[in-house]
Amino acid sequence: MTNIQSAAVTAEAGGPLVPEGLPTEPQKAKPAWRSLNFGPRMWISLGIIGAVAALAFIGPLFYPYGPDQKVGSLYDSPSAEHILGTENFGYDVLAVLMASARNSLIIGLLAGTIAVLIGVAIGILAGYIGGWVEEALMGFTNIVLAIPSIVILILISISLQSTNVAFLKGVVGLALVIGITAWPWTARAVRAQASSVATREHIDVAKLSGARTPSIMVRDVLPYLASYAVMAWVLQLASAILAESTLSMLGLGPSGANSLGKQLFWALAFQAVATGAWWAFLPPTIVLTMISFGLLYLQSSLDEVFNPRLRRGKKKNLAKAAARREETARKLAEQNQRVEVTA
Amino acid sequence: MTGILMRASNLTAVYAADSGQDVPAVDDVTLDVPEGQIVGLAGESGCGKSTLGNALAMIANPPLYVVGGTMEIDDEVIDLSTLHRGANEAHRPYRGSTVSLLPQGAMNAVSPTLRLRNLVVDVMRAHKPDTTKAEALDRATDRLNMLDMPTRVLDSYAHQLSGGMKQRMVTVISTLLNPKLLIADEPTSALDVSSQKALIEMLLAMVEKKIMRGVIFITHDLPVLSMVTDRLAIMYAGKIVENGLTEELVNNARHPYTSALLSSVLDPTVETRTKHVLGIPGSPPNLANPPSGCRFHPRCPFAMDICKTEEPAFLQERDHDVACWWANDHAYETVPMEVNQL
Amino acid sequence: MGLRRYLANKTIWYLGALVVAVVLNFLLPRLIPGNPVDVLVSKMGQGGLSSEAQQRTYEAFMREFGLDKPIWDQFVLYITGVFHGNFGASFSFYPTPVSSLSAQSVPYTLALQLPAIVLGWIIGNLLGAIAAYKGGGWDKSVFTTALLFNSTPYYCLSIILLYVFAVVLGIFPVGGAYSLGLSPEWSWEFFSDAVSYWWLPFLSLVLINIGGQAVGMRSMAIYELGSDYVNYSRSLGIGDRKMTGYIFRNAMLPQITGLALSIGTMVGGALITELVFSYPGMGTLLFGAISSNDYPVIQAVTLIITVAVLVANYMVEILYGFIDPRIRASKSGEK
Repeated sequence: MTNIQSAAVTAEAGGPLVPEGLPTEPQKAKPAWRSLNFGPRMWISLGIIGAVAALAFIGPLFYPYGPDQKVGSLYDSPSAEHILGTENFGYDVLAVLMASARNSLIIGLLAGTIAVLIGVAIGILAGYIGGWVEEALMGFTNIVLAIPSIVILILISISLQSTNVAFLKGVVGLALVIGITAWPWTARAVRAQASSVATREHIDVAKLSGARTPSIMVRDVLPYLASYAVMAWVLQLASAILAESTLSMLGLGPSGANSLGKQLFWALAFQAVATGAWWAFLPPTIVLTMISFGLLYLQSSLDEVFNPRLRRGKKKNLAKAAARREETARKLAEQNQRVEVTA
Repeated sequence: MTGILMRASNLTAVYAADSGQDVPAVDDVTLDVPEGQIVGLAGESGCGKSTLGNALAMIANPPLYVVGGTMEIDDEVIDLSTLHRGANEAHRPYRGSTVSLLPQGAMNAVSPTLRLRNLVVDVMRAHKPDTTKAEALDRATDRLNMLDMPTRVLDSYAHQLSGGMKQRMVTVISTLLNPKLLIADEPTSALDVSSQKALIEMLLAMVEKKIMRGVIFITHDLPVLSMVTDRLAIMYAGKIVENGLTEELVNNARHPYTSALLSSVLDPTVETRTKHVLGIPGSPPNLANPPSGCRFHPRCPFAMDICKTEEPAFLQERDHDVACWWANDHAYETVPMEVNQL
Repeated sequence: MGLRRYLANKTIWYLGALVVAVVLNFLLPRLIPGNPVDVLVSKMGQGGLSSEAQQRTYEAFMREFGLDKPIWDQFVLYITGVFHGNFGASFSFYPTPVSSLSAQSVPYTLALQLPAIVLGWIIGNLLGAIAAYKGGGWDKSVFTTALLFNSTPYYCLSIILLYVFAVVLGIFPVGGAYSLGLSPEWSWEFFSDAVSYWWLPFLSLVLINIGGQAVGMRSMAIYELGSDYVNYSRSLGIGDRKMTGYIFRNAMLPQITGLALSIGTMVGGALITELVFSYPGMGTLLFGAISSNDYPVIQAVTLIITVAVLVANYMVEILYGFIDPRIRASKSGEK
């Protein structure tokens, strides 16, 4: 796992991301999303994620080999027929890679969604209701946050491995475990936002008009946290995919299914790195890095969209404006000179 | 320039919007500060008075750009149009020693992790690099004694001081190097009444002791202005519309905007207490696309055809300049107040 | 909040977390249906042990690990053991005590992680502050590189570094912590040999830590750049270098709390780095224990990691209390 949590901490400490009602100038009617600053970063990150998703979900439709088809022997070099050669069991690396990427993405989506749902629910409850509810929930959250999540993940996964319930050992079980251990920092950050929203005037209006607490939390608080929840979800996705591969590399991966981490586990177990069989370990390494980089890059560009203070202006516009200012300054100077001459 | 401490000429400053459009917030403004006087700068929020203050204090951070203008102070002419970030160093020696800023709401003006005495040392060293710590602190201590303030506050962090104390300390630090001109940007607006009084008394004492030779006092608090200032300049939509001796302006407003602005304020003196409180109809214009001619004409009860097409020039009267077509036609007449009741 | 209250508050929370962690560490492995000894003995059974011998081994192990007692007694035994540094005996290296296995691995993990975290924090924050302050091309290149490293999983960078620098270029040894034929001792020869093995795993950790801290520091510093005190200091003629100092000091504070929160993640990720390099630290020990169902070792390693992370977090938070003047020097109410 990388320092994804530190990114979240930064987002939390950086102050409320909730728009503070910026003075907007009356502008030509534009759809709301057009006024968002969708920079090149956003497109690059979406492109990377799209490429991985295409490999995972569309690739298998066109690739002739399956991930459970023995087509060669230990580490056959890449050839025209098997573009990325074979892995230690003689399976086609590209076919396995597609299946692995799909499973890893599924685990990420499931676990990330679970974590964000729990985190947002706990965060809103604590932040909006306050009082002892907040103290209790946040106390619990902080304690869970202090214990390294990898330790809890390892201990739970070991317990699950010796159960007889098949689905708990597989992709879904792993996603569940990751999801229910990953929510604390989302809860913490959401609480900070929710308690700032809770003091806004529109909440008083809602209360006075007789709305009930659950309805206020869903209709009047949640929308203000939506942008944050989206960013948290993106981070949780990345974090869950990396947690899966960490567990898999420790030998606690989903049983009976491929995943990017398991691919690396087998590559290390069969000395692919030391023997130079790059096709066995580089593809999953690269795909993992692409997923992680793409999602974090997406998060940081979303941060700039939602968070005007981080924005540094579009280069093209700034350059144009600077040129125009130079021109105005020159004209003004000329004008002043002329006035002086005539005076 | 006899008797004039500072003259800012043809100052124009713009805000660069995200769309690439420039919004002029200060438009071709000329302003004098006579030696030893306090000049008030008043206007509604968004009229450009703080922007003008920042430009005169020689700080222009993107998206604010000063595109033209000069400052003449003590026979030295300083070009303000190069005030962007790259040329930061060129104007640095003037900041704090020639022109100094007393910022709006000193709450966050001092870094929360800095003791005030360290800021004092840094300020002194920024202008005289070989100043010792002891010298800098001696100077600050002397200054505090002179102003009857406790010297132990120098050991504090900003968060340990009350709002009024913080604002007075910031004032002392801003004037530590005896700047020629102090620009006080709404220094009293975040304070309670007794702290306001203490701060104003301190400022007046400083002017009297000649710590600085002139002050520009920016506020929308007109009672404070009429109490403190020698002269007043009224700003509307990026331009100065009227400018003169405070008493003259208060008693004999020549611009309809000045008249409306003054009458919109509760004044507890006996003469005005009985009058109705008047507002100004309409709202300030969008500076990205200001009205043609006189910028006040859409809200002005005296607007004539010429006001819509041509910008009025400054009309010079006794101690009183005004840019208004109505004033042009009605020499020395005060704007009749009751028309605002329309 | 006064310093004393802050310290008391933090101490109570961390003690609470410690209790929860110890209980979880004790309880979670015992949730396994059956018990670890079953798994172990059934494996022995596959090795051809007679059923009577199996039964004897089973009972011996049950007594040895106290698993025949009620759970509360087990917990008391566990706690007293932990307090005496006694984690029992390893299953797979029976009867080697777990404590001596972990004592061999801890120094390697510390030697990797401590410098990687500390240096990564310092260098990363410097780079981040510079990027925010300079803006433009500096910002763009530092930020993108930092983000790339920050988002590379530890083990991915490890694998790439190992392959490129050890396998292809042959600059560094391929794996392990010291050359064959040497044994760990306090000698120059061993030390210089061990350093050549240490470089690659260290680099792969420190690069990622630098990236993470730089990304965080950059956005913190951008926030600080827009704050009032920067503007005011500028209006006083204070130079750029001094001002960077102010910004750095303020932006650093949240970075310290950030460090406390991310130490756990860093440590977790770094365990896998050891695996990639077959570096004989806690990660490799844990890996071996997981693959051989060596529960006493797993439990000891997870407990040591948890306690180490909690202690590190606690120390960082205490340090923070002493550094942040808003906590250290409380309001004195000067009017």
